[in-house]
Amino acid sequence: MAGAALLAPAAHLFPEFPPESNSLPRPDYRIEIAPIDWEIAPKKKIRTTAYNGQIPGPLLRLTEGSPVTIEIVNRADHAEIVHWHGQWIPVDADGSMEEGSPMIPPGASTRITFTPRPSGLHWYHTHAMGSRGFNHGLYTGQFGMLLVDPAANPGHYDREQFLALHDWEPYNFPSDDGSLMVQYASSSINGRQLGHDAPIQVSEGQQVLFHILNASATEPHWLTLPGHHFQVLALDGRPVATQAKVETLRLVPAERVTALVAMNTPGIWILGEARAAFRNAGMGTVIEYAGRTGKPQPSSQTRLEWDYRAFADPVPAIHQPDLTIPLVFTSRFKGHGAPDQWMINGKSYPEADPIVLKQGLRHRLIFDNRSTDDHPVHLHRHSFELVSIRGAQLSGVHKDVVVVEANSTVEADLLATNPGNTLFHCHQQDHMDAGFMALFHYA
Amino acid sequence: MRFVFTALLLLGAAATAARAQGNYEIQVYGADTVAPRNTMLELHSNFTADGQTRTIGGVEPTNHAEHETIEITQGINAWSELGFYIFTSESSANGVQWVGDHLRPRVRVPEKWRWPVGVSLSTEIGYQRAVFSPDTWTWELRPIVDKQTGRWYFAVNPALERTWHGPDVNQGLGFAPAAKISYDFTKKITGGLEYYADYGSITNIASLHNQQQQIFPAIDLNVSPDWEINFGVGIGPTAATDHWIVKAIVGRRFDWSRKNKAR
Repeated sequence: MAGAALLAPAAHLFPEFPPESNSLPRPDYRIEIAPIDWEIAPKKKIRTTAYNGQIPGPLLRLTEGSPVTIEIVNRADHAEIVHWHGQWIPVDADGSMEEGSPMIPPGASTRITFTPRPSGLHWYHTHAMGSRGFNHGLYTGQFGMLLVDPAANPGHYDREQFLALHDWEPYNFPSDDGSLMVQYASSSINGRQLGHDAPIQVSEGQQVLFHILNASATEPHWLTLPGHHFQVLALDGRPVATQAKVETLRLVPAERVTALVAMNTPGIWILGEARAAFRNAGMGTVIEYAGRTGKPQPSSQTRLEWDYRAFADPVPAIHQPDLTIPLVFTSRFKGHGAPDQWMINGKSYPEADPIVLKQGLRHRLIFDNRSTDDHPVHLHRHSFELVSIRGAQLSGVHKDVVVVEANSTVEADLLATNPGNTLFHCHQQDHMDAGFMALFHYA
Repeated sequence: MRFVFTALLLLGAAATAARAQGNYEIQVYGADTVAPRNTMLELHSNFTADGQTRTIGGVEPTNHAEHETIEITQGINAWSELGFYIFTSESSANGVQWVGDHLRPRVRVPEKWRWPVGVSLSTEIGYQRAVFSPDTWTWELRPIVDKQTGRWYFAVNPALERTWHGPDVNQGLGFAPAAKISYDFTKKITGGLEYYADYGSITNIASLHNQQQQIFPAIDLNVSPDWEINFGVGIGPTAATDHWIVKAIVGRRFDWSRKNKAR
């Protein structure tokens, strides 16, 4: 959290996990997966599955380097699994059946122990496949925020605010490129539609640290707060080289942004989607300055611009890779009434050839997207450093999710330092379900 | 495909006579509506290669007639649209002539309701000159059900027609169904069959001889989301049907929201 103002952490938006007390070895926290009727607005309930009876799941705040044991109880009617997104942890704790983590059968429970690292904003979520009925995977409410505080200097600010974006009531829609895509009837921040959650109360002069997660199954989101700027401190929990100020944040599915906002424009504002269609569907929350009244003002922002290079080193420092791994993304048409089948290097998971990493070496991953869709690709149990986007070099931006735009190439360097099976996939649930995955092995 | 309007053919004096073909707009409707802030401009070109050669009851023959129809459809919201038609007829004997105009509001079940099939309801009201159709004011109610599953597409349009002014005014509702089945050979090329019929009055179905029955092998080209291209050749086996029709639809979508794209 370098660069943040030096103030004590404020109250959390979410209640913390209830510690478990009566079993050995004693878990520090407990997650219960169960069906729920969740009210995103008065009289508007969504039948879904969630963690500990709330959406998002409880904020889990851990300390970097301090081992933690978590018990996971599955009270859903189908097998589930919980992935610890962004954590450099062993395979058996990571929560991916493709890597070898076991699914948790209905009615069963499991315990995992891991040592949180790296610090920063991460999240935990279901890693189950979606379904054509949209009742599983990230179409549900199975997600929560995970904040790993650094062992020293946790950062300072006047207050923290956690925002988890999600989309609800998915349905298939014919896309412009001829295949089916997923759209949504409603959206929310912290499980509530705009206007149906308590406003975020602020005072003029406050420094508010926003921890923002896009937990949508498939949708990228653009956030604005009229009259304010976001000073981006970290992306995907990793501090950025340049803490640039921007008017609009873009978060593709699974991305996280940690940003500081100076509350210096008194009024009643909507912090929400820059695009009216999503805002009208519920993606927004109200920022209310002390002593101010009136109707919340939405954004009039029409320029949607985002460039990872804004947060990079002023002068790129590029290292020579030891190995280069091309990853070519293509699709196969399956009819106008079906989603495309997705392939990495010409094959869909599980037929995809495994990719071999060599421990300790620097691997240059070349994400070559030859499709007409954008892909927010994610690598488990590791981070990578962005090296080039559409041929423009950069350094100093470390991530575990990066969007590779249609018909473009992104290069990223991966230091192979966490042995074990490692899943690579598009974080769009519908793409992942249609084969967009590959397994990395350590030699 | 659909026949925009029909008129009674005086084939003898049979009470269950077939209806004459308009051949102005031949299209099986899908359940989708044009998106809000979008306009679809379509040109329907239909040439009757082998049709009615005589003037019957004051109605112009269809043989070798070229019918051009301009259809302008404006999307209103996520579940409704309004269409407007300008019908014309071209022949060597009479040149280009205005035939009539129709208005066609349509509503659909929104996608977000997640129904297993697409459903919409179209109604069409319009006027056509008596020299092209003795029934000058007509109304149509067209339920539309469709389903795209994988590469296959199915649509049915069990349309009901009513004459408000003209010889058929006392015939009540006519039944003029249409249907389509097609297969996506590639992302850009879809081929299939389209079926059009007019069974006459629902209370007095015409004999097969006097029914209109027509099958169109047809191709849809999906070259761009902004363009709609359809081409087909129709075969009419019954006496009351024009025997050969060649039809084409070229449509261009204009998205007025793109400068300030919201979604």
